[in-house]
Amino acid sequence: MVDTRADHHRLLLEAIVQPTSLTGYDNRQWELLLRLARRARLSGYLAAKLEKDGLLDDIPMRAANLLRSSLIQARKQQQSVSWELNRVMWALGEHEIPVIVLKGMAYLLQDLPNAPGRMFADLDLLVPKEDLGQIESSLLKKGWRHHALTSYDEHYYREWSHEIPALVHPERNVEVDVHHTLSSPLGKLKINPLPFREAAVKVNDAGVYVLSPEDMVLHCAVNLFQNNELADDLRHLLDFHEMMLFFSSQQPFFQQKLIERANQLGLGNPLFYSLYFSRLLLRSAIPEDLEKQLDRQPGWFAQRVMHHCVPLALLPQHPDHPSRMAGYARVWLYWRSHWLRMPLYRLLPHLAYKFYLSVFPARAETSKQK
Amino acid sequence: MRVGQLSRDTFRTLLTGSGLRVKAGPFNLSIQTRLPHLINQLHQMYAHYSLVNDTEIVEFHVRVISRRSIRRPFARLIQFEVDSRSPFPPVPAEQALATLEWGINLAIAMRINHLLLFHSAAVERNGHVLLLPAWPGSGKTTLCTALIHRDYRLFSDEFGLMDPQSGEFLPLPRLMPLKNQSIGVIRDHFPEAILGPEIPGTLKGTVAHVRPPQESSERADETAKPRWIVFPKWSVGAAVRLEPLPRSEAFLLLASNAFNYEVLGETAFGAVTSLVRNCECRKLVYSDFDSALKALDELTDG
Repeated sequence: MVDTRADHHRLLLEAIVQPTSLTGYDNRQWELLLRLARRARLSGYLAAKLEKDGLLDDIPMRAANLLRSSLIQARKQQQSVSWELNRVMWALGEHEIPVIVLKGMAYLLQDLPNAPGRMFADLDLLVPKEDLGQIESSLLKKGWRHHALTSYDEHYYREWSHEIPALVHPERNVEVDVHHTLSSPLGKLKINPLPFREAAVKVNDAGVYVLSPEDMVLHCAVNLFQNNELADDLRHLLDFHEMMLFFSSQQPFFQQKLIERANQLGLGNPLFYSLYFSRLLLRSAIPEDLEKQLDRQPGWFAQRVMHHCVPLALLPQHPDHPSRMAGYARVWLYWRSHWLRMPLYRLLPHLAYKFYLSVFPARAETSKQK
Repeated sequence: MRVGQLSRDTFRTLLTGSGLRVKAGPFNLSIQTRLPHLINQLHQMYAHYSLVNDTEIVEFHVRVISRRSIRRPFARLIQFEVDSRSPFPPVPAEQALATLEWGINLAIAMRINHLLLFHSAAVERNGHVLLLPAWPGSGKTTLCTALIHRDYRLFSDEFGLMDPQSGEFLPLPRLMPLKNQSIGVIRDHFPEAILGPEIPGTLKGTVAHVRPPQESSERADETAKPRWIVFPKWSVGAAVRLEPLPRSEAFLLLASNAFNYEVLGETAFGAVTSLVRNCECRKLVYSDFDSALKALDELTDG
């Protein structure tokens, strides 16, 4: 059975879908909810919702203190990442390279309803592949550094990944992830970044862009059901849900345009799952059959398996009573995400190497590069 | 009800079962462990801690579990977990108590932002708080231990918890880890101090914990306003000196050493500004306890 019926899942989902109901929670429910929300990295989001509705003083003091603490931290993170973007644009200044901001920072730039209280520590950027070298050398020249990487990781990033190794300025410690496409180049789903770049929307004159609304929603879906391992990833489904609601209310034909865009770019599968689970778990007001208009849809069997496994992975485990089924579902989805990203002849050695390092972490040190 | 009033069996049942729920100043903790030696140590060291009613919200759920390592199959290792996440690698089982205490500190420092967290010892005398901020060589835990055995009330040896709105400080009386030579110094000077086992080989050398006095634990809800900030420095053979410290310097030392000054931003700036404006700021150089205690007594008498 789908585990949305587990009490702790209902508790968390109800809090997200209907934050006003939180004023009726008793202390025991609060204690569990706070633990679940922290695991799902949603305590800042809940705090922002309650603050907006003026309800932070109507809930138990200990809960309010923890939620306020998370909100303060989330605001600090948002400020740090905003400043990092400012510094990156300064560093790239003379080259006038347009930069597309992705994920958390993009939601913040666009003032989307999922942005307040959202926790994120990284700055994700999309740039043309031909500009990668220029950007990397400009940032390195202005003080950013790569984390120390093993030669294996270095090789993994450069040859098989959709981003270069993260850059970090040692004074600020915010990770800058520079992507040249939106999913692994080795993956089964080939994504051409060009149409995404062409449709990008200008945010300001400093050369900062974000994806168009449809593409932003699609990118969120791709991340969830193509790039990520889904464990404790409810917050990304919540991003999807909030953006669907927001853009649908802003533009009358948004949902139709989204379907057309997904068909045009061949991204039916991830969008199908995102629509399906956002309706199933977050009760998104999305027409029942919207995803049926997609050219590409997962097969019947895959849908059934995902229907059972995805909620078990997306929703956090009960902190005191983890379920074994959820454990299996998570392992399976972990394999699935890797399987989608790499052909088997690459995947098996990769996972074997990661397992080896988990047993002998010291071996990674010996192959570390300067 | 206090931990010391529980029978050893009930105490063990709680720790090995649903969790021992205890109060630590403004926070509530739930602790789980099945390690027999840790259960015994906690029964003695936490004796004055109050139990938390089952219907109250607990903020921190921590656990110390035994671990096996593929690399070291015969070593007895333990791991600290907060909400099932392990912030530290496994350590030898003897270090369980020290790891638990550090783990709780870390969890507080990582999660709490509604209060400003100074890295400082804090004690109360005559209704006001004396802050002893940490700086290299300060020996704040040692000096703090000395003070609380001379009738100062313990707030904390690690966290100065300040409510940035009201300016009040909040007590967080917990075990105080003495390190290396300090252990012998305290044993010699204050034979009445109750110390836990000596734990050798930790990251900070040998550690032994001091149990907070009963009165400090019982009055853990009584907040107080700060009045004195003293930056201590232990210096071999030095005659005791308690000198004024410019407020600007006190500000920088406090702000740069706080756990969440940057996270709180403007709120923290305002809070530290009013703190140093309203307090007497001093620098204390000392080599022996008696003269240092005398100087601090004189400062806090008025």
